Amino acid sequence: MSTYAQQTAENVTLPTSLDEAVAALAAMPSAVPVAGGTDLMVSVNAGLLRPAALVGLGRIAEIRGWQYADGAALLGAGLTHARMGRPDFAALIPALAAAARSAGPPQIRNAGTLGGNIVSAAPTGDALPVLAALEASVILAGPEADREIPVSHLLTGMDPLRPGELLAFVRIPLLHAPQTFLKATGRTGPGRAVASVALVVDPARRQVRCAVGAVAQVPLRPLEAEQWVAGLIDWDGERTLAPEACTAFGEYVAAACIPDQPGVELPPAAVQLRRTVAALSRRALGRALA
Amino acid sequence: MSVIDGPGAVAESLAGGGTPHGIGSSLPSADAPAKTQGTYPYAADLWAEGLLWAAVLRSPYPHARIVRIDTAEAAAMPGVRAVVTHEDVPGDAMHGRRVADRPVFAKDMVRHHGEPIAAVAADHPDTARLAAAAILVEYEVLEPVTDPEKAFAAEPLHPDGNLIRHIPLRFGDPDAVGEVIVEGLYRVGRQDPAPIGAEAGLAVPRPDGGVELYVASTDPHADRDIAAACFGLEADHVKVVVTGVPGALGDREDSGIQLPLGLLALRTGCPVKFVATREESFLGHAHRHPTLLRYRHHADAEGRLVKVEAQILLDAGAYADASSDALAAAVAFAAGPYVVPHVFVEGWAVRTNNPPSGHVRGEGALQVCTAYEGQMDKLAAKLGLEPAEIRMRNVLATGDLLPTGQTVTCPAPVGELLKAVRDADLPPLPDGDDESQWLLPGGTSGAGEPGAVRRGVGYALGMVHVLGAEGTDEVSTATVRVHDGRATVICAAVETGQGFTTLARQIVQEVLGVEDVRVLPSDTDQPPAGPAARGRHTWVSGGAVERAAKMVRTQLLQPLAAKFGMSVELLTIADGKITSYDGVLSTTVAETLDGKELWATAQCRPHPTDRLDDTGQGDAFVGLTFCAIRAVVDVDIELGAVRVVELAVAQDVGRVLNPRQLAARIEAGVTQGVGLALMEDLRAPRGVVKRPSLTGYALPTALDAPDVRIVKLVEERDVVAPFGAKAVSAVPVVTAPAAVASAVRAATGRPVSRLPIRPQAAIVKPQT
Ligand SMILES: Cc1cc2nc3c(=O)[nH]c(=O)nc-3n(C[C@H](O)[C@H](O)[C@H](O)COP(=O)(O)OP(=O)(O)OC[C@H]3O[C@@H](n4cnc5c(N)ncnc54)[C@H](O)[C@@H]3O)c2cc1C
Repeated sequence: MSTYAQQTAENVTLPTSLDEAVAALAAMPSAVPVAGGTDLMVSVNAGLLRPAALVGLGRIAEIRGWQYADGAALLGAGLTHARMGRPDFAALIPALAAAARSAGPPQIRNAGTLGGNIVSAAPTGDALPVLAALEASVILAGPEADREIPVSHLLTGMDPLRPGELLAFVRIPLLHAPQTFLKATGRTGPGRAVASVALVVDPARRQVRCAVGAVAQVPLRPLEAEQWVAGLIDWDGERTLAPEACTAFGEYVAAACIPDQPGVELPPAAVQLRRTVAALSRRALGRALA
Repeated sequence: MSVIDGPGAVAESLAGGGTPHGIGSSLPSADAPAKTQGTYPYAADLWAEGLLWAAVLRSPYPHARIVRIDTAEAAAMPGVRAVVTHEDVPGDAMHGRRVADRPVFAKDMVRHHGEPIAAVAADHPDTARLAAAAILVEYEVLEPVTDPEKAFAAEPLHPDGNLIRHIPLRFGDPDAVGEVIVEGLYRVGRQDPAPIGAEAGLAVPRPDGGVELYVASTDPHADRDIAAACFGLEADHVKVVVTGVPGALGDREDSGIQLPLGLLALRTGCPVKFVATREESFLGHAHRHPTLLRYRHHADAEGRLVKVEAQILLDAGAYADASSDALAAAVAFAAGPYVVPHVFVEGWAVRTNNPPSGHVRGEGALQVCTAYEGQMDKLAAKLGLEPAEIRMRNVLATGDLLPTGQTVTCPAPVGELLKAVRDADLPPLPDGDDESQWLLPGGTSGAGEPGAVRRGVGYALGMVHVLGAEGTDEVSTATVRVHDGRATVICAAVETGQGFTTLARQIVQEVLGVEDVRVLPSDTDQPPAGPAARGRHTWVSGGAVERAAKMVRTQLLQPLAAKFGMSVELLTIADGKITSYDGVLSTTVAETLDGKELWATAQCRPHPTDRLDDTGQGDAFVGLTFCAIRAVVDVDIELGAVRVVELAVAQDVGRVLNPRQLAARIEAGVTQGVGLALMEDLRAPRGVVKRPSLTGYALPTALDAPDVRIVKLVEERDVVAPFGAKAVSAVPVVTAPAAVASAVRAATGRPVSRLPIRPQAAIVKPQT
């Protein structure tokens, strides 16, 4: 008896609208959505995943661009890293553009999407600290009514994607102020983050928000350090900081993200990671408030 | 990108007009169009009607006793056609390239993570994998020995014991002391050859009971002999057919794939195909020896070396493979291309439960280069000399003695090489105003900050031997055939991408004046040519092709010469025309052949060498080659990120045979060296390989590869080598890591004693 035929049968649907996609998922609960496939197909090729059916999201035009809505941008989940890296997008959300430009080699950036990055929720997902610092929210389309939740709730698993739900849009407040994303990698060429820092200045709320990626399962927000540094800034004046303040901020962030373990010495790798986070945070703040 | 400048360089053959041909021209590779178009056939692309797929079950443990293997469930799965274990090996149970100490399938012990235990053939690759996973193996897990220093005292991991080889080298006076002494401890990590194409193969059973293996073998006859012995067949019942080789940096093939493949084909009577996953590729094939090196250098007040003492410990992994050869090179070149009157080295290669080590380009020579060049930097610092200057005061030259007592008889223009890289212009600093043009260490992701970047310049001198050492019978055979105004070369030397077939075509063009030269694919029906390693094929196979072509030339010209009453030497062939020295005779090759075919077969076998004796003495090497590299690096001293800006290379090449190919070999070599210096290290804590993937194991990308500037190619002919040429591929790999380390030392003031250089080792003023 041959086992050849039964394993090659695969079912692929290519809907052209969100509604169709949601319906396709509802019709085939075992189907898996695929956008750029740059995460999913790696698992398939490695034999870790054998989806019974696929729902391709690549033809859904409504999620491949962005629009404005009340001082925020509504980004389609199907935006590719390559698209987000372009200058028009960079003028809008500079930190997300910087993250997109650093997310892998060009071939991957041409295919990989914002939605895939969020749903994969890898610790090294480059968009994730930026979304955390921006306090973005995600709009999920499902068989019942659409719902909107903070991105952090999705990433932490507090409020996970429900069966049959698709990530449709990402809502990001437009801040019209400096923002930065810095990523340390193991080589000069494209690579996964060893650590990354996203930092945004929010003049309206008089906040500096910072998120550190790749050092934990989800991006970390050093809230106390954020508040401390926001208090040093003259929001009505120059909005600059002395280099010493930037250095202290870096140390503060690093100690918060890679905390001391009571009674034990930090292992050398953790010391190094802490140094890296401190340097990145200092540089990020310095560039935002130079 | 590479730039060739400087005197004696090689551009003229490109400017000459017409299609390049003959020795010294940049004849392009005949495979290039097929490779760029994706039609070049690699083993993974092969297909046979009715083929089965193989999967190999590998040990998840680095060290365990096998209590029981039960294949019943796997064998009963639908689609499964055969399951084989150690019980199904009809011939020799043990094999090895140098020592037969490795089982085809583990029987009662597994000695490294990934060791093959069983193999399955099924009608679908997934079925085969699932069946392999369904084989029940009961293990008694044992404590792995993973620290090579502990291997000496540990329980034997193998019936042959844990010490694979010990070489104590004694040269000169042990009591000699210098006025200045520096000590250092150096470590080199585990580099994986990471070929672009993972291992793959197709085995096809033959009606006569034999089997054909279609694999990317780099040493087809040796692989055939091992396979035949394990299959219990005569050698002529096993044929290895070499497919396209997707990258080779040493002994490419993993016998843990070839042997199960052949066994399964013989067992099922069907063709069987196997394509390794990247993970299996990392687990199965041989790696560069992780090495621990302790050094003490003595010098006088002027910086002249007095004595070098070293202890060198190679981690061989579980099986001997090529460790003995690697150790010989490490010990013999322990002091580098320097004159040292007194040298005392203890070298050991020991067995551990770490991933297997073996022949990877420049083995042994690379690790010691890292250490002795680190020592030279230390001496320079201690004596207040420039790093280039202290090296210059000690360079080796022709006529000097190696610490093995062998006299260097070949060209050894070490001082000239060093001078060339030292005097070359430094790359300009980036324009401070335009930071966007500056590719900072850490890359394009924006983390780099110009204010934290320090530039450093460092030097290294490397050496490596050409051809197998210590009495290896180096020989190759080639056949040249001329017919219809064309020529064909038949030689089992494998084209691994190193350019042998291009070189063979150039040689025939040069000798016979025939433009259209083809080189047939290699298989074991041809006479043996030996492994594609250590620059052998440039020498022995190139030499054999030249001789065969000359014999054909004589056959072609003799009747003409006799007819015109002149000697063959007075006739020349060029562009398909034969002319006499005085211009009286002029005819064409085609006319002279008159429809006949001419064939000749010849061998090349260089002079024999000795095994190093029990004090490390002996004339162990046929030839030596040298290289000087000046590295310029930028270091972000807060993040510890390093970018190699430029490597200026000067190399001793004997004679430039193909300028463009030579430049490509140097670029490839230094890039591999940069990978080892900065990122490549296959981590295996407690013997278990971590992240065996191309995401987990970072390789240099185009952005990591530095500008390679070939500032000088010294063309001093090696009179015993065919065309006077030296092999070119290995010595840049050997030298580049040490040069990068030296430059990072200069930029940071840190000792940098471990490769790859970790970020924490390149940070200045670490905040605690
Ligand atoms: C070589 C390589 C390098 C990489 N480098 C980086 C890097 O530097 N930084 C980085 O962040 N990432 C990197 N990645 C990972 C990957 O490219 C990104 O995470 C990318 O954003 C994933 O998007 P995708 O569209 O390809 O996702 P897919 O692979 O299509 O999907 C990923 C997962 O998300 C689900 N999914 C996708 N879209 C939706 C949706 N709209 N609704 C619900 N579920 C959805 C899929 O079902 C799947 O589970 C790299 C990947 C590769 C192969």
